[in-house]
Amino acid sequence: MTLIAQYFVTGIVTGCFLILATIGFSLTRRVEGFLNIAHAELLGVSAFVTWGLNVKMGWPFLPAGLFAIVFTAFFGLIVGRIVYDPIRKLGPAVLLISSVGVAYVIGGSVDALVGTGIRSLNIPLATTYRFFGVRITDYQMIVVALAALTGLSLAIFMTKTKTGLAIRAMSDNPGLAASRGVDVQQTSRATWLLASGLAGLAGVMLALIATLSTDIAFHQILQILAVAILAGLGSLYSVLLAGLIVGVAMDMSVYFIPAGYRPLIAFAVVIIVLFLRPEGLSGRKSK
Amino acid sequence: MNIEQLVLTVLTYGCLYGVMTVSLNLQYARGGMINFGTVAYFAAGAYAYAIFTQEPPSGLDQYAFGFNAPWWIGVLAAGVASLLFAIITGWPTLRLRGEYLALTTFAFAEVFHSFLLNERRIGNGSVGLSNVNRPDFSVIGLEDKYAFATAAVVLLLLTALLCRRVLASPYGRAIDAIRDDEIAAETVGKDIKRMRFQVFVLSSVPIGFAGALYAMITTLVSPNLFTAEVTFFVWIALVLGGEHTIKGVVLGTIALVTFEEVVRSFHFETVRAAEIAASVEHIMTGAIFIMILRWQPFDRIKKKRAAA
Repeated sequence: MTLIAQYFVTGIVTGCFLILATIGFSLTRRVEGFLNIAHAELLGVSAFVTWGLNVKMGWPFLPAGLFAIVFTAFFGLIVGRIVYDPIRKLGPAVLLISSVGVAYVIGGSVDALVGTGIRSLNIPLATTYRFFGVRITDYQMIVVALAALTGLSLAIFMTKTKTGLAIRAMSDNPGLAASRGVDVQQTSRATWLLASGLAGLAGVMLALIATLSTDIAFHQILQILAVAILAGLGSLYSVLLAGLIVGVAMDMSVYFIPAGYRPLIAFAVVIIVLFLRPEGLSGRKSK
Repeated sequence: MNIEQLVLTVLTYGCLYGVMTVSLNLQYARGGMINFGTVAYFAAGAYAYAIFTQEPPSGLDQYAFGFNAPWWIGVLAAGVASLLFAIITGWPTLRLRGEYLALTTFAFAEVFHSFLLNERRIGNGSVGLSNVNRPDFSVIGLEDKYAFATAAVVLLLLTALLCRRVLASPYGRAIDAIRDDEIAAETVGKDIKRMRFQVFVLSSVPIGFAGALYAMITTLVSPNLFTAEVTFFVWIALVLGGEHTIKGVVLGTIALVTFEEVVRSFHFETVRAAEIAASVEHIMTGAIFIMILRWQPFDRIKKKRAAA
């Protein structure tokens, strides 16, 4: 029983990480209207910037992580401006295929700069706490807290601030938003910054709770896709629930089937959802 | 650098991947279906060939079946396996469109890959099946490497001919009509669902044959040969070739294979240097891909020709 509870708690942590990783992806899908396969590579960029500053340059973890988030945000913005903006008129399929090329370029660059091998940050070992026999480390708690905080602040940002409102207006009807005086260019830039910054945050969390290798980014995109589809492509709040479902399902599956099939659960989710309810949890019809 | 070896390798693998790009071209440029799981049909073919020609398991082997059949039965099995896999995956997914179809086919390919990796009874799990049987070419007096290059070229020609034949027929024009305007095609009585399914299934058969040939050439099938990288590679080749004509996609594939083989044929002093070269190859492939999609040089050439 304790073992199941343990898997459940680990699943929640995985789920919270997936929420952080997916929100930016869904935001891009909603505002820019395409699936950015290269989103996961941004997690890799951020994780390895953190690693480089922390281990190679000897920075403490916190400034290294903060710098990585800001760096990734602007990096994502630049990629969006240079690569995606000029081809937007060619439609979502071309953008999707292009983003595979972007993923190749970013992934290859990280490979060339960092090299293969397994790495971890230069931080104190995680302290483990026990609650009723269930273990959780302090780093895992940080991930959960940050996911909750991000969900909350995103909700406030989207409903209360002018930029947030502009993003929502633009995602629903770009033409109408533009004619009502929303600065489309600027809103698009804000979206890229926000989405990439969130990827940066997820990347720092990844560096915190996992060991790093350069193929790590590719494994994340599979799970991000699963969460985004379960949530309904482009919806934001249902990402919170979908992330938890996929995370818990993946980690609890280890109790019943061989651990090698754990990534498969994410894909089983994709296939089942697309057959039964292609619009996802949110019920929003995709455009 | 050994020029003859390079030419042979490029010819063999270029034609092998060319079979996949031509089939994908039929699915995407003509059928309007984005298949991001191409590698799964390729793998299905390769594994079917290996399983059918393999000797029954003995000793440390963990696979359950080995039929020790002659190579041509293996090749047929490869085509059938790919066909069956296309039916299983195509039947439920083809009602989905655009990016949803891309994601489901991608998901199916990952699931299949995961099964090959974890289910040892299929093909020894991550170890794979080695010493896959090859047909004996000494009977007709050809060296293996020439024979495989010839086989690849022949397979590509057959695939291209089949595609051309299909597309030039009234059936092909119906396919084009569906891609251009589904509602209009439906109004004149074309069964869209059925035709999309037929194109999908038909075009996956040559991919299965290519898989069998690949297994013969490498004499090894293992899950890490069949990753999503293969799918992306074929897609990049497809875009590189300008998407729409059979000649174009074949040239695109051969150009991409040549590029990779040339990079690989350099000798590197250190492991790190080789590693960097591999990454740079990735970066350049991706960059070329992005640039072609952005400026679409082939479409412009075509338009210029049409105007002249």
